[in-house]
Parts: sequence; C-alpha cells; structure tokens
Amino acid sequence: MEIGLNHYLVLSTILFAIGLVGVMRRKNLLMLFFATEILLNAVNIAFAAISHYYGDLTGQMFAFFVIAIAASEVAVGLGLLIVWHKRHNNIDLDQMSTMRG
Amino acid sequence: MLEPVNVTLESLNLMTLTPMLIPIIGALLILVIDLFKSDLHKSLYVMLSILFLFMDFAVLANTSGVVAQNGTLMGVFNVMHIDGLALLSQFIIVIASMLFIPLALTSNSFHEFSYPEFFALFLFMISGFQFMVATDNLILVFVGLETSSLALYTLIAMHNRDKSFEAAVKYFTMGALAAGFYSFGAMIFYALTGSVEINQIAAVLSANGYADIAYLLVGVVFMLAAFGFKLSLVPFHTWAPDVYEGASAPMAGFMSIVPKIAAFVVAMRIFEFLVHSGIVWLEVILYIFVVVTMTAANIWALVQNDVKRMLAYSSISHAGFVMAAILIGTTQANSALFLYWVLFTFTNLGSFSMLWISRQKHIPIYQASDHSYNKFAGLIKTAPVAATIMALFMLSLAGIPPFALFWGKFYMIASAVTGGYTILALIMALNSAIAGYYYLKLIVYMFMKEPVQGADLYVFTNNASLSLRTIVGVAVMGTIFAFVAVNPLLEFITAFVYNSGY
Repeated sequence: MEIGLNHYLVLSTILFAIGLVGVMRRKNLLMLFFATEILLNAVNIAFAAISHYYGDLTGQMFAFFVIAIAASEVAVGLGLLIVWHKRHNNIDLDQMSTMRG
Repeated sequence: MLEPVNVTLESLNLMTLTPMLIPIIGALLILVIDLFKSDLHKSLYVMLSILFLFMDFAVLANTSGVVAQNGTLMGVFNVMHIDGLALLSQFIIVIASMLFIPLALTSNSFHEFSYPEFFALFLFMISGFQFMVATDNLILVFVGLETSSLALYTLIAMHNRDKSFEAAVKYFTMGALAAGFYSFGAMIFYALTGSVEINQIAAVLSANGYADIAYLLVGVVFMLAAFGFKLSLVPFHTWAPDVYEGASAPMAGFMSIVPKIAAFVVAMRIFEFLVHSGIVWLEVILYIFVVVTMTAANIWALVQNDVKRMLAYSSISHAGFVMAAILIGTTQANSALFLYWVLFTFTNLGSFSMLWISRQKHIPIYQASDHSYNKFAGLIKTAPVAATIMALFMLSLAGIPPFALFWGKFYMIASAVTGGYTILALIMALNSAIAGYYYLKLIVYMFMKEPVQGADLYVFTNNASLSLRTIVGVAVMGTIFAFVAVNPLLEFITAFVYNSGY
C-alpha cells in the first residue's frame, strides 16, 4: 500500500489528540510539558507532509519555526518548574490552588 | 550549480522593520549596560525604556504619514505588511507600554525591578507584539505571539511571590495549549490553500467557493480557540482571574490591554473575510462566543470578593463586548473597536495603578486577599482623594456618561444597530447594565461603609511616588476629558481602518 498524504495527516491528528488528552489529564507538570511537545510536533509532521505534497517549502519553514518555538517554550517552562520545585518540593499541578474564587 | 541569489536592499524595504528593531536595540543596550556596570538604579532603566519607546513612537508616526499617502507598505519578501490596522494597534501598544513602565518607580522596593532583565524582557515583549500585528503571514504571527508570551510569563514570575509563580505556571500551560491550537489551525489552512499568508488564503478559499467547508470549520474552531485563550473568551478564560490575581497590578493591567489588542488585530485579519464569506455557521459560532463571554463573565464578576479578580472578570467581559466588532465586521464596528480600546486603556491603566498604589507588603488580618473589598471600606473618610479617583474609574468602566468608556460603548452599540444586529445591541446594552452593579458595589464600599477597625490609614500613600501619581493623573485626565477627544480620534481611526480595507 502506498503511504500518501492522508496517512500522515491521520497520524498527525492522532498524535495531536494524544497530546491534548495529556495536557488535560496529566497532573505532573513535567509530563504536561511532554504533552505540549507532542502537541506541537504532531503539527510538524503534518506541515512537512503537506509541504511535500504541494512541492512548496513554506510548510517546512513553518515546521522549523515550530521546533524553535517549542524549544524556547521548554526553556521557559523548565525554569518556572525548577523555581516551583525549589519552593514547594513538588511539581504537582493539584497543589497549585492557593487562588480560588 | 546554484544561481547566486541577488536581493537588493530597496526590495527589502527595511523601513517596515524599524519600529520593531528599536525596542530590540533598546533591550540589548540595557543588557550591555548591566554587563559593564551593575547595581544601577532602576530609574535609569525606566527612562531608557521610555526613551526607546518614544523613538519607536516617532518612527511609527513617520511611517503612518507614508502609509496615509501611498497605502499599504510591504517589505522583507512581503512578510511585513504595514497597513492602517498595524499602525493603529502599534500606536496603542507603544503608548500603553509607555504609560505602564513608569509604574516600576514605586516608593517601596520590589524584587523584580531591581533586575535590568525585567526592562529588557519588557522591550522584547513589545517588539513581539509589534511583529504580530504588522504582518499577515501566519508564521510571523506565531513567532511574534510566542516571543511576547514567553517574555510575559517570565515577567509575571519575576514578582517573586508564591502566587505569581502559580500564575505564571498556569498562564504558561494555557499558553502552550494555545500555541498548539494555533499551529494546528494554521496547518489546516495551509492544507486547504497551500499558503500561509492571510490574503492568499482568503483569495484561494473564495476562488474555490469554500468547497471544503467541514475542514474549514475545524480550522476556524482551532484558530478561535487559540485566540480565545489570548483574548480570554469564555470558555477559554479559566486562567485569567488567577493570573491577574497572582501578577503584580501593573502587569495585570498591562495584560488586560496590550496582548489583547494585538490578538484582536490578528483575529480581525483572520475572521473578517470568513464572516463576509456568508457562511452562516461561522457567524453562529462567533455570535455564541460573544454573547456567552459578555454575559457569563459579568455574572462571575458579581460574586467576587477581591477587587482585582472582579477587574479580571470585568476585562473578560469587555473583551467579549469588543469581540462583537469582529462579528459585525463593518468599517464602523472596526473603528469602534479601536476607539473602545484606547478609552479602555486609560480607564484600566487608572484602576490598576490605584491597586498598585495601595499594594501592601503584608496582608492585614481583616483582609482575605491582597485587594479584598474590605480594604476599600470607608475610604472616603480615610483617603477622600483616592476614593474619588477610584470611583471615577469605576463609573467609567460601568459606562456612565460623560466618562471615557461611555463613548466606546455608545459607538460599539451604534455600530451593532447600523450593522443590522439589533438583538446583539440589546444584549450588549443589558450587559452594561448588569456590569454597573459590581462596579457600584465597590463605590458603595468606599462611600457608604465604615472603615474596618484598626485599618492601615496610610495604605494609599506609602507606595505612591511622584511617578505613580503622575500616571494616575494622566489616566484621570484621559477618563474625564475623553469627550473632547472622541470625535477627532474617531475620524483619525476611521481613516486608517478604511484605508486598509476593513
């Protein structure tokens, strides 16, 4: 069977759904960051595939920018996580509920 | 053998990049100064930031002259796209930032302002917002959005309290999710049209008659979710009250204005052509978002016990109100959006500055939180001037004539009526009435109640330096004398919006 554009798009959608469920359900902050990475990289697969399909480099450029942004996002996220861990000795999202109303 | 690529400097049209480069240069300069001589007083950095923002403003004014003559400017391989919308929103962004940064010069010292990085990040963030509005390329919108958001998370966390870290982490999580939604939405548009430029996308979609309507709707929903997070539309608003409470008051006020105008402009570019395409579903989706955001946020605001959280819900509701302009989609509505946002800038600047002035290092026992209503009880007896000024801002937010936001609401509702959305106009008017209740609640606390026994009488003086008083003064002037400026301002805005074809 020939692997075509649709296969890549379906793969990308499934990965995106996995990432989305991860962001919703995970209570561990580190796991949540992993889930957001899956989210962004799922889109990268689709961009690369569509770019190849159209024979147009814009999609691959977008994918590169997404990679760069995902990396910088992790840098900031891990910084916040380390500060939180130093202060509270946990990285549990459920503990973060001092503000209510 | 590859052909060498020749790019002339004229074809790049670097003039379109200058307004964004100025704050970047300013930020780098601040970092370099810190490298050579640390422990400089924060007032130097504040002044440098204002200086660079002022230069930015001057360049923008110059560019706006060119745009008014020659129409839309394109540059850097047609990625930069400077039209009236881009200029108007950049004016708002730069002016609002210039008014917010002097709030760093407080009498009490705060942790974050002792770092020059704070001001460098602030300037990087401004250039991110400017990139976001001055392009119609989805890649550059994404880069600008993330540059500014990542800087903003850090700025919030630098307030160095438990609550601000919690706020930063919550905002970060939601922001990461929004980034995922945005890129997925952009991917669907790219898959449908083979382009990431909004003009091209619009052209291709209308050429094939919106054939793949199902996929298009999925893309629109993802985009709407992404911008819903940034604009805090219900149901994507959950982060907003917590983040506003955790962030310092100037940052919270800043967040309620500058990121939102940038997101509004991008939303306008993306959704306007879709609304005009005559597909009923899109209109229905937007309609529901607008009405639910306005109404639900108002109802939540009624039950808050903390003034800052109340203002957070109020700004969610204002965002919903303004989102109606994108649904209506006429030139008049879009001009009303910018007018509303200018007036909202002054009012919210004032109310958040008043919260910042009354910031305490330690929370007294009778207060449940930083800015609980109790703190403002009987303020007219202990600090009459502060009470009057705060009441003025609340009346403006409630839309009582002749204060600033009345004119914004007036033009917005008028544009809804002329656009043929009579029911929407009715809902908007009703919501303004509901909103009046919780703003008046604070006024009742300040004017009718007795001060709490043993309350700190100096709470409205000990953090107030000259620069904070000046900013409050500017906000008061802007709020009271708005009626003088409304007509010329509206003419100016309408000319720009009309020129850029929205």
